[in-house]
Amino acid sequence: MTRRLAPYSVAIAGALLITGAIALISSRTSVPGLSAFYLLLVLWLGARWGRGPAVAGSVAAFLLFDYFFVPPIGTFTVSGPREFLELVVLLAVALVTSQLAASLRRTQAAAEGLATESRALYELATAALRSPEVTIALSLLRERATRLESVTRFDLVAMDFGQVTQLAGGELSQDEVKQAAWSHENRRPIGIAVTEGAVKLVRTAPVSSAPAFLPLANGVVVIGIDAEHPDPADLRMLAALIGLAALLLDRRRAGLEAERARGFEASDRLKAAILSSLSHELKSPIAALRAGLTALVAPQARLQPEQRDLLLDLDRQADRLDHLVGDMLTLSRLEAGVELEKEPHRFADLIGTAMRQLRSDLKGHDVAIDIADDLPPVEVDEVQVGRVLTNLLQNALEWAPTSGGIAIGGAAKDGHLEAWVENDGPAIAPADLERVFDTFWTRRARGSGLGLAISKRVVEAHGGTIRAENRRRGPRFTFTLPLARVTAKR
Amino acid sequence: MSGRVLVVDDEVEMQRALKTGLSYHDFDVRAVGSGEEALREAAAWRPDVILLDLGLPGMDGFATLRALRPATRAAVIVVSVMPGERDKVRALDLGADDYVVKPFGTEELVARIRAVLRRQADVSSGEPVVRSGELEIDLARRSVTVNGRSVHLTPTEYELLRYLALHAGKPVTHSTLLRQVWGEYAVGDKYNTRYVVAQIRKKLGDNPANPRYIVNEPGVGYRLESG
Repeated sequence: MTRRLAPYSVAIAGALLITGAIALISSRTSVPGLSAFYLLLVLWLGARWGRGPAVAGSVAAFLLFDYFFVPPIGTFTVSGPREFLELVVLLAVALVTSQLAASLRRTQAAAEGLATESRALYELATAALRSPEVTIALSLLRERATRLESVTRFDLVAMDFGQVTQLAGGELSQDEVKQAAWSHENRRPIGIAVTEGAVKLVRTAPVSSAPAFLPLANGVVVIGIDAEHPDPADLRMLAALIGLAALLLDRRRAGLEAERARGFEASDRLKAAILSSLSHELKSPIAALRAGLTALVAPQARLQPEQRDLLLDLDRQADRLDHLVGDMLTLSRLEAGVELEKEPHRFADLIGTAMRQLRSDLKGHDVAIDIADDLPPVEVDEVQVGRVLTNLLQNALEWAPTSGGIAIGGAAKDGHLEAWVENDGPAIAPADLERVFDTFWTRRARGSGLGLAISKRVVEAHGGTIRAENRRRGPRFTFTLPLARVTAKR
Repeated sequence: MSGRVLVVDDEVEMQRALKTGLSYHDFDVRAVGSGEEALREAAAWRPDVILLDLGLPGMDGFATLRALRPATRAAVIVVSVMPGERDKVRALDLGADDYVVKPFGTEELVARIRAVLRRQADVSSGEPVVRSGELEIDLARRSVTVNGRSVHLTPTEYELLRYLALHAGKPVTHSTLLRQVWGEYAVGDKYNTRYVVAQIRKKLGDNPANPRYIVNEPGVGYRLESG
């Protein structure tokens, strides 16, 4: 009470003090317009305490001035328009200055409030973003949010790959989890409206104890606002906190994704390591077998011809086993996701390499090669596509009549390479045209059924397609590969 | 005796098979089971060819190769089960003369051993003319002929062919070719070498789909057929 009255006492005391001063001055010398001193007081009062004290000060000043200095001195009578004008001016100055000062003070108070708010938010944000544990940072946010008077609840759940994880705040009821999931899935808030990004929060539902759900990119924030007219400052803070929460959820998600990627990578590495040790374990005994069997074939071993033939048969079997194991390992590597080393290559070079690898098998066969001179290079993994070509050529060799026709070629078509391998052997049954690429499917009693399956996987890994069809003269395998976008340079 | 061959393989069965098989082809063979023993034997016995398995226990094949290279003039043929192309390139860059993929037949191995021995003899005799079928490269006169017909090559093309000729029969990696032809600081673009090889083939009248002289070593580089 005394605190509220103090400005008024100061106003009256000030008016009395100035009256004394004016009396002192005018007793010595005659100075006109000394009443202007009161204006200073009123100005100061208005700026310092606002309208009330300023008006009080101006009334007191007027009365005192009128009583002591305006003739007839010693009375409160206002005799002429001059005195009346003086009173009005004093009062008007009091009102205007106090108004100005008051609005100035309000602006200042608001600015101070905002500064405090943003400082608090800044501190919170740095603390939250610095915290290595996102959940700790989120609890900091939650704690700050629930300190706001209008906010009763601020819970955060993350939506990870279709799974709901409670991050900050109390346990959600089953119903609330469902609502949160719905809100996230449909990207629609429940019981709350957000305008201009996350700047303005408007309750849509009548104020109730039911929480509102606001979906973010990687989660949902569950908010309780408990006030008829929530403080705008609180809502501002809440919006800022939600923005921060969205940022933290994004960070958390990025971390999770990196972890997942590392997990996949580790499992790929593990698969590759297992396959490589498996290939060593499977192939080493075959290597010893073949080295031993072929050693004894030399004439210096002095074996009988039928013994040598038997060894050669055995070596062929060992070789077959080797290819079978090789194909199986290749297929599992492709399935484990082999990394393609794509580079521009001339398709003719690739055919040349494949033909060279099979040169002893190709002897006596007439292979027609049809490649245009100006065929642009293909963008492929040389080794993997080499497998496709050797597999298709081997397949053609097995079915083409002895010394009979095999054709291989390629041409640019619709921005990619269309290549083919044909043979003049028996047609493939129409029902089998699709199945030839299935793993372990084979037309022969002794085939592994892996060559075409491997070819299909390699072609598809390059974004191409492969198909089998029957021409009039025999089967044809057609596949596509990407063309390189390079210009040859020196 | 055709030469001394040191077998470095940790499997006793493989050692025995190779000892028997190679001795039937007149090679003098010794076998050891580790990189350390290989280094000792290379220094003491002075083999002409070392068959080095990459999958050795302890000091592995690459480490052994690195240690062997400055210590011996023997040709090194690297032997490995299902090697990736990177392993082949690494072995060649570390100074291996050739690589053979396990399993292999004795005949094939003998052919490879004879090829590296022949190359060693050619290099030491300093023969200035390298032949590959009808292709003749006269290193002293810097001339290239096919069937006696002279072929004009650009300096880049000649440099590349010359380097392959100097190592005829040996796979030469893309990175080595880039370095040798374009210089130490060449930007590693394999398509450069592919383009130049295509030009050379065209001038030599070689069909890329069925090459006679320069053959591709898939994922590794090129090799000039020798003889």
